[in-house]
Amino acid sequence: MTTLFINEEEVTVAAGTSILEACRQSNVDVPYFCYHPELSVAANCRMCLVNVEGWPKPPASCCTPVSEGMKVSTESEALVKDREMAMEYLLIHHPLDCPVCDQGGECKLQDYAMEHGSGKGRYLEEKRIIKDKQLGPFVTTSMTRCIHCTRCVRFADEIAGTGDMGVLNRGDHMEISSVVDECLSSELSGNLPDICPVGALLDGPSHDVSRPWEMTRHQSTCTQCPQGCDISIESRGQDVMRIQPIEGSPEPWLCDRGRFVYDAFRNESRLLKPISKQEKVSWNDAINDSIALLKDKRIGIICSPDWSVEGLSAIRLLRDTAFKNAPVAFDLHRRDKRSFAFEEGFSQTTQQIEDADQVVILGSDLRQRLPLVMQRIRKRVLADKPVVRIGSMRYRTNSELQKDMLIRPRDWVSVIASAIEQVMALGKQAAGMQAWLDATQDRHEAGKVLADALLAETCSLLVGEEIRCHNDAAALIHGLDLLMRGCGHAEANNDGRNLIPEGMNAQALTALFAKDRMSVSDIFEDANQGKLDAILLIGSDPIGDGLFPVQAREALKKVALIQIGAIQGEISDQASVLLPASAYSEVEGTFINMEGRVRTAHHPLEVLGDQRPLWKIMMRLLQALGQDIPAVSLEELRIHMHRFIPELTKVDDKQQDAIFLSSARNRKSILPTQITLRTLDVVSRYSMYREGMWARSSELLRGAGERQKLADVIMHPDTLAAQAGSIATLDTDHGQYQFKIDVRDDISPGVLFISKRGIAGDISNVVSVDINGGSA
Amino acid sequence: MIPSDPKKVTAICFANIDVPKMHTLEMARQQGAYQFLPTVLNTFSSEHIVSEMKISGLRGRGGAGFPTGLKWSFVPKNTGKPTYLLCNADEGEPGTFKDRDLMRFDPHLLIEGMIMAGFALGVKDAYIYIRGEFIHEAKRLNDAISEAYAANLLGDNILGSSYSMHLTVHRGAGAYICGEETALIESLEGRPGRPRFKPPFPAVEGFFRCPTVVNNVETLATVPAILEHGGEWHKAIGTPNNAGMKIFSVSGNVKKAGNYEVPLGTTMRSLIEDYAGGLQNGSVPKVIIPGGSSTPWLLAEHYDVPLTYDDLASAGSMLGSGAVIIIDETADLIALTRRLAHFYAHESCGQCTPCREGTGWLERILTRIESGQGKQEDIRTLEDAAKHMAGRTICALADGAAAPILSLLEHFPELVEQAIAEKTS
Repeated sequence: MTTLFINEEEVTVAAGTSILEACRQSNVDVPYFCYHPELSVAANCRMCLVNVEGWPKPPASCCTPVSEGMKVSTESEALVKDREMAMEYLLIHHPLDCPVCDQGGECKLQDYAMEHGSGKGRYLEEKRIIKDKQLGPFVTTSMTRCIHCTRCVRFADEIAGTGDMGVLNRGDHMEISSVVDECLSSELSGNLPDICPVGALLDGPSHDVSRPWEMTRHQSTCTQCPQGCDISIESRGQDVMRIQPIEGSPEPWLCDRGRFVYDAFRNESRLLKPISKQEKVSWNDAINDSIALLKDKRIGIICSPDWSVEGLSAIRLLRDTAFKNAPVAFDLHRRDKRSFAFEEGFSQTTQQIEDADQVVILGSDLRQRLPLVMQRIRKRVLADKPVVRIGSMRYRTNSELQKDMLIRPRDWVSVIASAIEQVMALGKQAAGMQAWLDATQDRHEAGKVLADALLAETCSLLVGEEIRCHNDAAALIHGLDLLMRGCGHAEANNDGRNLIPEGMNAQALTALFAKDRMSVSDIFEDANQGKLDAILLIGSDPIGDGLFPVQAREALKKVALIQIGAIQGEISDQASVLLPASAYSEVEGTFINMEGRVRTAHHPLEVLGDQRPLWKIMMRLLQALGQDIPAVSLEELRIHMHRFIPELTKVDDKQQDAIFLSSARNRKSILPTQITLRTLDVVSRYSMYREGMWARSSELLRGAGERQKLADVIMHPDTLAAQAGSIATLDTDHGQYQFKIDVRDDISPGVLFISKRGIAGDISNVVSVDINGGSA
Repeated sequence: MIPSDPKKVTAICFANIDVPKMHTLEMARQQGAYQFLPTVLNTFSSEHIVSEMKISGLRGRGGAGFPTGLKWSFVPKNTGKPTYLLCNADEGEPGTFKDRDLMRFDPHLLIEGMIMAGFALGVKDAYIYIRGEFIHEAKRLNDAISEAYAANLLGDNILGSSYSMHLTVHRGAGAYICGEETALIESLEGRPGRPRFKPPFPAVEGFFRCPTVVNNVETLATVPAILEHGGEWHKAIGTPNNAGMKIFSVSGNVKKAGNYEVPLGTTMRSLIEDYAGGLQNGSVPKVIIPGGSSTPWLLAEHYDVPLTYDDLASAGSMLGSGAVIIIDETADLIALTRRLAHFYAHESCGQCTPCREGTGWLERILTRIESGQGKQEDIRTLEDAAKHMAGRTICALADGAAAPILSLLEHFPELVEQAIAEKTS
């Protein structure tokens, strides 16, 4: 620690801290443009000059480390003049266009010009004109406003890892540029306008529509992925203008999916009125029509994981009260019908993952699935900490991974078996290991990568969709569980088992429905076999999303569909009754992210149309079914919620970030099963721009998704000598299909990659295929 | 041969500058080059060499005048990283042309100095970063290095000793700023030449974040004489705290512009009158730029200033790189200042706000004044914009850009007033 004096106040900070950071930590205001706590120091704006006693020149505080006994002053006559001049230098070429600049009102340059500027510029010569750049759909530029702080360049290099911004030329010909037009390829590109301290890089979609001071900020939780970031939804009247991150949140950035999905909040796909038999009807009629389909009927419940915990608790109350044995499903990708060795959710925080000795990514397109966890991974890689990956594709990353093993989904058993064998050879044991091994035959070399990582003191496993959607998922996860226990991780506080869930609230869903949970395909199967009369679909779209669109369509020919939701999906045409519920942005409520971190949304957007909060719809249905209503207010509902999930009683506004729900564990032995497969394994790809009802309804995301798109059906060129553009005939258990294929060499040989919708959507749920005919 | 009596020394770096074919290894060896090298490699320790360098009082000849031995002693040992020696041959300071002569006429002196310095610092790889425009000098150096490799003076196990060093010439691309040592390092690493902020200093984290010493050509060329004759010998030349000989590049309104190596402490008048053939006009110069275009101006009253780091600092300027530019009554000081302002605006790397915006702004105001479009307020603006640029940036380019303008305003305000008054329509 180092003790110094800032404006005569004694301050103690960690050794090596910069003067600027020391000032920030002590709430002493020092103006700056180029400094950003998440970026490397550039020291180029020269706005943060301070005086240090005994030093002849004022140093830039951002790049000057503190020293013992140093006497810093941040206010002096000389500094007033220096800051005034720094502002004058910055403004000589800056256009005086604050009245038409989106940044106006939240612009550092504007604020500091008021605070430190002289009020009158003396520059009489010609001004510099810089042409605007084309940086893609989310960033609009006005480069004459640029002050060359290079935050964007450092962001692209250090955070996004795409390196697609740079500096051209010297002196006052210097300009910020991109490598090529439209090049911004980062899923974090929406953060560029945020970090630009002036109006040079602007939020594209909200350009020229509103001023910052006209907007109302609604603190909410993003449910576009299990990360559940804190967001500030900014609205003007009924319109949603943009989504911004909240300073001080666990993750400093927002991904483009969570940020730009907002155009779907206000488009025609929103469900705003109750609909019955394709007609808009009153709530009373809609409820009556629903009751006619539900009362005394055998129903299956499919719900989205992304409702608030209050909403999910209300679903539980409905089921407990009126539909005692109704099957419940909420994961549209789960093939395995058994309960997992442990339920979804992380046992670690993202910070712990960043700090762990080893990280293994198992079958996940992490950059798309959890962009901000990938960001943590990138920080590790930059700090030379190991990250390895095993999976069926070298999914695009923004970091060089230490090892990147390609396997087929059918190899997971042999990978885990091989790892178990290797740790057992080192004398590491867990009860059940031998039995698990005995149930397997093959071994895969990638097991060594897994075993080596697990031998470290701390190891994070990020278990992704390739395992979660696997037919034998429960056995695989149990195998991983055995490995971690054998290597001594399971007993520690943070054991490093992080199973990436499909959506939000994984731990709450486990607590609410664990014992009754089924695979969504079971519900469709039950419907097909006449075991159900109706499906109550609450907020998801099994035709638009997930692995079972074919099964869903089949089932809906046989049973009635009552859909409750905030937005219509591809399934909605088939619904007998549609009941409008408030969206995540429109409710006050509790959300749990994948870490188990509790978030609360306080100040919702105004509700549109005739929507009702989900819990009220549940209570209304109960009432119409002739039952007692368990809760008439959110407070009463929360009493039930606390009964279901006692940990939530500890939550109050102040310490929400400190409360974590743990994911449930199941130590029952689940052994791998041998199944016969066809020649090629099928993996369906996730796209952050296309998955989910909200994302699909967002034109902004659709546009970005087009740019990132891969072909619908892809194979490795070595797989049966596949050729790009050829037509392949595929034999599946459900019949024969023909598709045009593309080839890429970053996927595992022996795997057929398909996008879940598009030409091959109907084989989403197919695990393996035979390919014949080859090319046509 | 350089006399071992310090009193009799008339040249160190330029001792053999006039010897024909001195750039060849054969002639260099005839004149004594590399003769003392085996003694250094086989009997001297690193500590001994650094200690002798400290005793010698040699101060960096590139411009800043930092004690060379002290700089070497800052290099941390046993870091597990390689240590690099970089020779700064990016001689770009307007008025300076000494290193160029050294490299084209006596390249082996520099190479020998680098081997000795490299040996003292435990360097395996050394580089000469040479100004891009010095095409012929780069060729000379490369030829000399090839000869040195062939004679086992470079490469593995130099002259049969256990010391190995490789030397590579890297040509710059014409940026003045790459003469600043951290910009030089950036450029040598393959990036745009933009200075780094310090700390960390290059001695600790320099070339590819490894310990690095950057020395000027003349500094390194002085090393062989110091090691052969001893630190005390060198210290006895010149004046206290300003030891040794120094090459001055004299230009401007003198009769014999050129490079002259003189003992530090020689007066400015002596340098001009006794070496550079005297002034073209008059008996005293109007303006003396003593250490390259970036140094503040001196006036006629300083004509007798002794040429030392300390005396020039007391006079309000700097010895700099030793580029003495003599200006007499025939020069248009506003045009000259405008031309210098253009140079700095063109050469500013652009990263720091005050320099990026200030240098261009100053040039434009001066251009306007020179063309008869000046305004009274311009004087104040020039002063503000120059003053608040200097000392507020990562490197000293802004200081250099401000120096001529502030000197003009300080010493010749009436010329500026007059130019503004003579407004043309």
